[in-house]
Amino acid sequence: MLSRLVIVSGNALKGSGLLGAGLVQASRSLHTSSQSLAPVPPLPKEGGKVRHGIFPEEIFQFLYPKTGVTGPYMLGTGLIVYLLSKELYVINQETIYAASILSIIIYGVKKYGSSVAAFADKLNEEKMAKAQAVKDASVTGLIQAIENEKKEQWRVEGRSMLFDAKRNNVAMLLEINYRERLHMVTNEVKRRLDYQVALQDLHRRMEQEHMVNWVEKSVIGSLTPQQEKESIAKCISDLKTLAKTTQAKVVA
Amino acid sequence: MAGRRVALKAVDWLAFAERVPPNQKSMFNALKTRSDSIAAKLNSLPQTPAAIDWSFYRSAVAKAGMVEEFENKFKALQVPEPIDTQSSAINAQETEANVGALAYIENSKARIAQYEKELEKFNNMIPFDQMTIEDLNNTFPETKLDKVKYPYWPHKPISDL
Repeated sequence: MLSRLVIVSGNALKGSGLLGAGLVQASRSLHTSSQSLAPVPPLPKEGGKVRHGIFPEEIFQFLYPKTGVTGPYMLGTGLIVYLLSKELYVINQETIYAASILSIIIYGVKKYGSSVAAFADKLNEEKMAKAQAVKDASVTGLIQAIENEKKEQWRVEGRSMLFDAKRNNVAMLLEINYRERLHMVTNEVKRRLDYQVALQDLHRRMEQEHMVNWVEKSVIGSLTPQQEKESIAKCISDLKTLAKTTQAKVVA
Repeated sequence: MAGRRVALKAVDWLAFAERVPPNQKSMFNALKTRSDSIAAKLNSLPQTPAAIDWSFYRSAVAKAGMVEEFENKFKALQVPEPIDTQSSAINAQETEANVGALAYIENSKARIAQYEKELEKFNNMIPFDQMTIEDLNNTFPETKLDKVKYPYWPHKPISDL
């Protein structure tokens, strides 16, 4: 499989079409500075095409121009026949073992290969997804952190407002104090003036009351007993005449 | 006794509130309440006190010369303006805050640069599914195993596992 990879990647690097394996390897320039700095091409997702489960397609393509389409099969058959006839390969009991083991292996691969591959792929994908999630989380975290920092900077710019507000408060407090002083002075002066006015009013009222009392007292003191008797008699006669007139009115 | 205009710089409280960080909200609210109460008190006080009706008192008070004396003394009286002792303190506080804020902004910019560097590293790195172990170790040096210091598996202290 790895040799195939070399062939495939060699083809990709050369950018030419189909080339033989040997030719690619001979012409591929490894360990040059430009290539060693170049990014590694991503690994192929699928394996290359094979015939009969083991022989790479490239071998057939390589032999076709020389031998035609039956050439590779002829080569293989000829190779096996040669090995057998010269007894380079001797068929003995080991061959039977090998054949049975091989068939068991092939059966196992055919039966369980795909599910094992899927399980392995799943493990790999889970690992990748976890790594990717960590990466995404840290990227969003970093972006968020940058935004937060910028917002904090913007907030710091607003500190002048705080000091404006403080200065305003001080100025307003001073003004309040000043106005309170003005009001206090005015009110105190006004109160004293009001007191003077009220004091005058009080004096005048006391004087009036005193005058009234004094006049009453002197009038009552000047009355004689003779005058009193006369006035009572006058009152009684007045009452009598009043009673008569009212009686006459009721009768009439 | 002419009224004095206060040079007030208008504060946009809404914009201010937006800029306050959440952990200083209560302090901001306290400041706002205090400022509002001060402003309300200032508005409740008229700029000049009600003028005294001198002619009325002159006719009402019989004692000669008393009202004139009051008036003259009242007009001659100069109400002292309260001395501002806090502005200098506030200015000092502001310069101090400016120094602190500039330092903070510098630090913040440094932090942003660092974050951006890390972000760039994340954005420019090879996708995980195309990485080799060497790429991973280059991108995240903390994943590299120190096989000289810890020659046996897992090649790092057991406590770090």
